[in-house]
Amino acid sequence: MHMKGNGDQEPCFFLKGLQPSLYVELSHKGFHREVVTTVELGSETPADVRALLVYRWPRDVYVDPYQVASLSHQRGWQMLFNTAIDLEEPAHRTSEFSTYVFPSHAGPTPNPLKVTIPIHGRYHKPSFDGKTFTPVHIELPELLLWTKKCTPFQRLEPHTVLDAPCTASNTSICSWVKIQNPNKNSVPMSLHLPVGDGSTVRLISTGTLVVTLICCVVLCHSMLKHQLR
Amino acid sequence: MYSFTPEIKVCVLFPVSFVVRLALVVYGDYQDRNMVVKYTDIDYHVFTDAARFITEGQSPYNRSTYRYTPLLAWLLTPNIYLTVVFGKLLFIVCDVLSGLLIYKLLCLRGTARYVSSLWLLNPLPMGVSSRGNAESILSALVLGTLLCMEVRRLTWAAALYGLSVHMKIYPVTYALPIALSLTPVAFVKSLTTAPFCCLIRYGWVFLHETYFYHLTRRDIRHNFSPYFYMLYLTADSRWSQALGLAAFLPQLILLLVSSWTFHPDLAFTCFLHTAVFVSFNKVCTSQYFMWYLSLLPLVIPHLTLSVKQGLGLLLLWFAGQAVWLAPAYFLEFEGYNTFFLIWLAGLFFLVINSFILVQIIAHYRSRKSLDRQKAE
Repeated sequence: MHMKGNGDQEPCFFLKGLQPSLYVELSHKGFHREVVTTVELGSETPADVRALLVYRWPRDVYVDPYQVASLSHQRGWQMLFNTAIDLEEPAHRTSEFSTYVFPSHAGPTPNPLKVTIPIHGRYHKPSFDGKTFTPVHIELPELLLWTKKCTPFQRLEPHTVLDAPCTASNTSICSWVKIQNPNKNSVPMSLHLPVGDGSTVRLISTGTLVVTLICCVVLCHSMLKHQLR
Repeated sequence: MYSFTPEIKVCVLFPVSFVVRLALVVYGDYQDRNMVVKYTDIDYHVFTDAARFITEGQSPYNRSTYRYTPLLAWLLTPNIYLTVVFGKLLFIVCDVLSGLLIYKLLCLRGTARYVSSLWLLNPLPMGVSSRGNAESILSALVLGTLLCMEVRRLTWAAALYGLSVHMKIYPVTYALPIALSLTPVAFVKSLTTAPFCCLIRYGWVFLHETYFYHLTRRDIRHNFSPYFYMLYLTADSRWSQALGLAAFLPQLILLLVSSWTFHPDLAFTCFLHTAVFVSFNKVCTSQYFMWYLSLLPLVIPHLTLSVKQGLGLLLLWFAGQAVWLAPAYFLEFEGYNTFFLIWLAGLFFLVINSFILVQIIAHYRSRKSLDRQKAE
C-alpha cells in the first residue's frame, strides 16, 4: 500500500537540496565485529523526516536476529531481515541477505543517528592455494529518507525513489528517497577471516587418527589389565 | 570443646551450597544489566525463546538452534509466565539435588560422604548452573538412576534412565550395564515412553532436532575435540563419511571394552563411559565436562591416589584446557590463523585426558576389593 500525498510538489523540493552524510566503520577483530554507521542528516532537515538504512550483507558474515532483538530496546533501532538466517552454516552453504534498520524512536529521527550492528564471520572452505585468510567485502549501506508530506513520484535528481517497508513490522510499503553518494568513506569496508589450510589435510588426518588410535589402544590395555574380577 | 560431627557438616553444606548458587544467579542478573560481557549463557536465551513459542501455542523448534527435548522448553514456560530467572533457579536446585544424590550414593557405598562437597562446593557446576545451562537436570537424572539401581528400585531406575536418555543421547552408552539389571520390558519402556509422547506432539522435527542432529552433527567450528580440524578440512571431500566412521571407532571400542571390564561396578562404568564418550567425541565443548564431573565424586573414595597425585592430575587437566583456550581465543577474537595450534592443542588435551583416565583405572579399587583388603 503506497502512502498517498496531497499532490503538492513543494514538500519534496527540500529533498533535492539535502546533503546528508553517512560514515561507516568496522570495529573489533576476529570473527565478531561491529559495523558502526553514523548518519548526519543536516541541520536543514525537517523534523518529520524518517531515515532507513539498507544493508546488503555478503554470505561470509551473518547478523544474529535474536541478538539484534535483545539489543534493539537498548539501542533505539529495529531491524528487519529479508530472509531467515542460519546461524551455523559455513559461508559456501548460505547466501547474501539484506537488512532494513529503522530508528525506533517515536519522535524525530536522531541527528546524528548512530547505529551499531554486531556481525559474525562464518567459517569458510579451507584454502588449497596457501592463503591463510579470505577477504570479505561489505557494501556500504544505502540511506533512504521518507516524509509524510511528500510522495516523491517526481524527479529528484540525483536521488532516486525506492519502495521499501514503512516500518520494521513490514505491514506496508512506502516510497523512499534513496540518497545518492552520501558516503564519506573513501573505500568499502573489508575484513579478513582465517581459513584452514587444505594442503595439510593428509598430515592432519593421519596425525589425528594415529594419536586417537594410540590413546584408544593404551586405554584398552589399561582397562583389560585392571578389569574387575 | 565443640565437636564438629559429619551430620552438622551436612546441615551446613547443603544450605551453603544453595545460597552460593543463588548469590551467583543474583550477581548474574546484575552483570547482564550493567556490563558488556554477559553472565548468562547464550543457551539460556535459546531455552527461554523456545519456551515463549510454547506459550504462544507454537513448536519450540521454531527457535533456531533449539536442539533439545521439548520437555525442557515446557519446563521453562514459567520463564515467560513468572520470571525469566525461573529456569536458573530450577537448575541450581537440580545442582544441589545432584549433590544430595552423590551424598546418598556415597553413604550406600560405605565411602567418605564428605566427598560430595567436591560437587557442592565446586565452582565449575556452580558457574554452569547459575549461568543457565541445563546440565544439572541431566546429572540429577543420571545420579538418580544410579541410586535407584543401588537400592534395587528398578522401576524408578528405568523411568529415570529413560528420561535421561531422552534429555541427552550420551547416557545411552550406559545401556549395556544397566540392561543387565533391568527386565527387557522395563528397559525398552524406559527408553521409548517419553520420546513416543514427544513424537506424537511434535512429529519428525522433534526426532531430528533432539536426536538425529546430534548423531550426525559435524560441527566444523573450533572445539576441544581432537577431530575438529580433520573434520573441518574434509567436510566437503569424498573422504568425509569414511573419516567420520573412523573417528567413531575408538569411541565405540572403548565403550565396549569398559562395559566388559568394569560392569559389576555400575557407577565406575558410567564414569568411564562418559569420560571416554566426551574425550573421543567429534564435538566437545566445556559443558560436556559436567557430564563426567558429576560422577567423579562416586569414584574418588575408591582411588588409591595420594592428594598430591590427585591435585597433580587436576592441574594437568586444567593445563590441557588452557593450552587449547589460548589459540582458540586468538582465532575467534583477534583473528589470527591458529588452526594448526588448535589442532595440536586438541590432540594434547586428548593425550592428557587419556593419561588421567589410565591413572584413575590403575588406582581404582572396587568395593569388593576394598572389603577383601579389610578382611585380610
